[in-house]
Amino acid sequence: MILEKLLSHGKKERDVTEDIKRHIGLLCTACDTFKTAVERDDPDLMENVIQLEREGDSVRREVISHIYEGAFLPYLRPDLCKFVEIVDEVFDLLKDTAFYHLSTRLPERIKDDCIRVALLNFRMCEMLLITYEAMLKGEDLREKTLAIRIYEKKVDDLKYDLFEEAKKVEIDTFWEGRMLADLISGLTTISDIIEDASDHLQIIYVSMR
Amino acid sequence: MKVHEFMSTKIEFVDAEKSVYDAVERMVDRRIRSVVVEFSGKEPEYGVLTSRDIVFKVLAKGINPKKIKVSEIASKPVACIDINMDFEDAAKMMEQSNIARLFVCDEGRIIGLISLLDVMAAELVAIARGNHDS
Repeated sequence: MILEKLLSHGKKERDVTEDIKRHIGLLCTACDTFKTAVERDDPDLMENVIQLEREGDSVRREVISHIYEGAFLPYLRPDLCKFVEIVDEVFDLLKDTAFYHLSTRLPERIKDDCIRVALLNFRMCEMLLITYEAMLKGEDLREKTLAIRIYEKKVDDLKYDLFEEAKKVEIDTFWEGRMLADLISGLTTISDIIEDASDHLQIIYVSMR
Repeated sequence: MKVHEFMSTKIEFVDAEKSVYDAVERMVDRRIRSVVVEFSGKEPEYGVLTSRDIVFKVLAKGINPKKIKVSEIASKPVACIDINMDFEDAAKMMEQSNIARLFVCDEGRIIGLISLLDVMAAELVAIARGNHDS
């Protein structure tokens, strides 16, 4: 199959595909850590999320430089780089959300729903990794991308309820309200970007067939 | 996949002593098809009131919804599944009881709701995850 040939030949290509896998794997760890940090209200764990984002940044730089050092045919490079950049956007948003969580107190009335969204985000990351691995094997991605869309829909369903509940929270200062709004917004937007990443995998898959 | 991962938490509770009118107001406002009825007592006791109950048992019979209590037309007990059960168990329970919705309970308290659509979505996700499920 053309796809397997394109993705498995050469050490440079293998290095890049392994690094991308590591990048998504790190994102899974970061999302899982975030969820646990919210559950336990643990600021040290939340700091780890910020640390994992920095690690993710350095993996992204490695991937992009390896690609432009000559891995893959030139027409494939922009799409692969774009995919890595989208995954990096998820890292950035997760880091910002971790920062908002460290800067504000999460009201009890929305805590359970926030944990549920964090769990769904983590499941979506796992699914993104499964989708990426399936693409490397040349498997059909239809079922995988559908699962990601289902997860995203679940987060969307929770999003509006979360904002409705947040309206009932008593806020003392402008910044307290702003941080809480940004925290909910960040938490519920992560799934949108993971969905974008999955759509982009589908584009790469189709373009390589 | 555990039921709590995909359950809906958009549940409205209404006191059993309230009027059907109060329940209708809540359902229309929140765009939901059923409310959980809470009966007073030491242990939590629940019933369910659906839009079907309201239309068939009250409105179609010309009864004034302000003059009838929720407790008079609510069905109980409600069908519950434990929070730690899987969607496969939920599908079996729904099939055995011929119902389209199941409440998710944690130590006797209702915390969520799963529908047939949720069961189907969970099945699609399980297929996509293959052997990767954690």
